[in-house]
Order: sequence, then C-alpha cells, then structure tokens
Amino acid sequence: MRGTELERLYDGHAQSLYAFLLNFTRDEADTRDLLQEIFVKLAREPELLAGVRDERAFLIRLAHNAAIDLMRRRGARDRTKENFAAETVSPFAATADPDENIFRDELAAALAELPEEQRAVVHLKLWEELTFEEIAAALDISPNTAASRYRYGLDKLRDRLRPLHEEMK
Amino acid sequence: MKPDDFEQKLQRQPLRQIPAEWRAEILDACRASSVERREPERLWPSTLVSRLSTALWPHPKAWAGLAAVWILIFCVNFSMRDKSPVMAERAAPPSPEVIVELRQQQRMLAELIGSSQARDAEPPRFLPQPRSERVEILMT
Repeated sequence: MRGTELERLYDGHAQSLYAFLLNFTRDEADTRDLLQEIFVKLAREPELLAGVRDERAFLIRLAHNAAIDLMRRRGARDRTKENFAAETVSPFAATADPDENIFRDELAAALAELPEEQRAVVHLKLWEELTFEEIAAALDISPNTAASRYRYGLDKLRDRLRPLHEEMK
Repeated sequence: MKPDDFEQKLQRQPLRQIPAEWRAEILDACRASSVERREPERLWPSTLVSRLSTALWPHPKAWAGLAAVWILIFCVNFSMRDKSPVMAERAAPPSPEVIVELRQQQRMLAELIGSSQARDAEPPRFLPQPRSERVEILMT
C-alpha cells in the first residue's frame, strides 16, 4: 500500500480505533501495539481493503478481532486487572470540572464491568454513532443481537450511574 | 429510537485523544514492514542463507563438521587430479639407456629365476620303506 493511502487511512480512522481499543484494553501500550498491528497488516496486505464498502466498519472489525486475541493472550490474571478501572487508563479525556471527572471515572469503571461483547456495542453506538446495522456488520453479528446487547449494556450503566447522574442534574 | 437524557449525557463525554507522536511511529513501522516484505524478492541469497540456517539450526556443529569433511574430500580430490597429468608426462618416453638397463635387469632376473627353478626342479626324493629298515638306518 502507498504511503499516502496509509496516511489517509490513519488520519481518517486512527482516533476511532484508538478509543475503541482503549475501551477494551485499558492500557496505552497494548492499544498502541494493536493499532500498529492493524496498520502494519494493511500496509503488508493492501488487498484486504479491495472491495470494502465501509472502511470504518472493516477497520473496527479488525480492531475488535485484534482486541479479542489480546484478551485471550493476556490470560486470567490481566483479565481480573481489567475489572479495576482505577488501576487502568480511562478512555475518557480529563477535564477541569471535578464533578465531570468523577462522572467520567465512574462511567469508565462501569464500562469496564460490562462483558466485552456489550462494551463493544455500547461504545460503537454511543461514541461512534453507528446504527445497529453498521455495528452488526462490523462485529459480524445480527442487528437484533447488536440491539439487545446495547440495551442490556445501557441498562447496567444506567443502574450503576443513575444516582450520580441524578445528583449532577 | 431517540436517545434519552442519560444516553445523551454519555454521548457528550469526550474520548481521550490519540497521542500525536504515534502517527509518525506507526506509519514508519508500516513503511518498514512493506520494505521488509519486498526485500525477499530482491535479496534471495540472504533469504536462502537464513532458511538454510533455520534448517541447520538444531545441530550446527554436526553440520559444520560434515561440511568440513566434504571440503577436505574435495581438496584431496582436486590435489590428486592435479598430479595425474604430471605423472603421465614423466612416464611418457623412456630413454634408450633406460631401455637397455631394463633389458639387462630383465635378463638377470630371468637367470636368477632360471637357477632357482633348476634347484627347485630336483626335490628331495622320498621313497617309502618298511619300518624295520627305517629303524636300521637310524641305528647306523
């Protein structure tokens, strides 16, 4: 693949992939490794993108597969670590507002407690603003499955964050 | 389905930004990997060497020893092949003196063989005799 084409892909999608991967790994170094793995794969095998209609969905699928592989490689020890959001990197930007910071930390912790498949759908729906059809295409699941996973995930977040959310209103 | 208040609140949470320095690092890694992928076509001898080393890796000393033996065999073979024409040259035309000398030696050898043959021609005769007569002979 030509350098300019890679640059276009990076500039167009790296931020989204970074946020998606960071929500999975909660680790900057792992996220960087996965991101590099994806782009190196594209550089080596440019034919992968031939005939792809939705680049973003395709790249998210690559990222999702890479993240799942990483989770398997990490093993039980790191998977436990993943549940302690306080010890890991938050996928949200820091802010000067302390209340907002608390909410973001709580949200990061609540997301980390979601099962991986629900977390992926919630992330893509809320922060990538993909439709259930697009999410289904990206994660290789049916749109109904994507919708139900989103509903379950969102309900868990709501239960966990409602008191804080009400308080901040 | 319209997002409710809670969903909108979540959507407004800004995500962490990708570190800017990653762009150059990752794109460099991509370029390096594409070059690596193209290199084997150009530098096939190095690929061959690396494949050979992978194949020989389990017993490098044994393979090195075997290689040394083969090299020795080739050296010996070549050195012998080099000498053979020289030997042929030396053996080519004997001088008349040498021929005369050789003939003389042949004659002498024939004489020697002839004399020994003459001696060998008269083996000691053994005539069987009765035992009693043999005892007499011993007594005398």
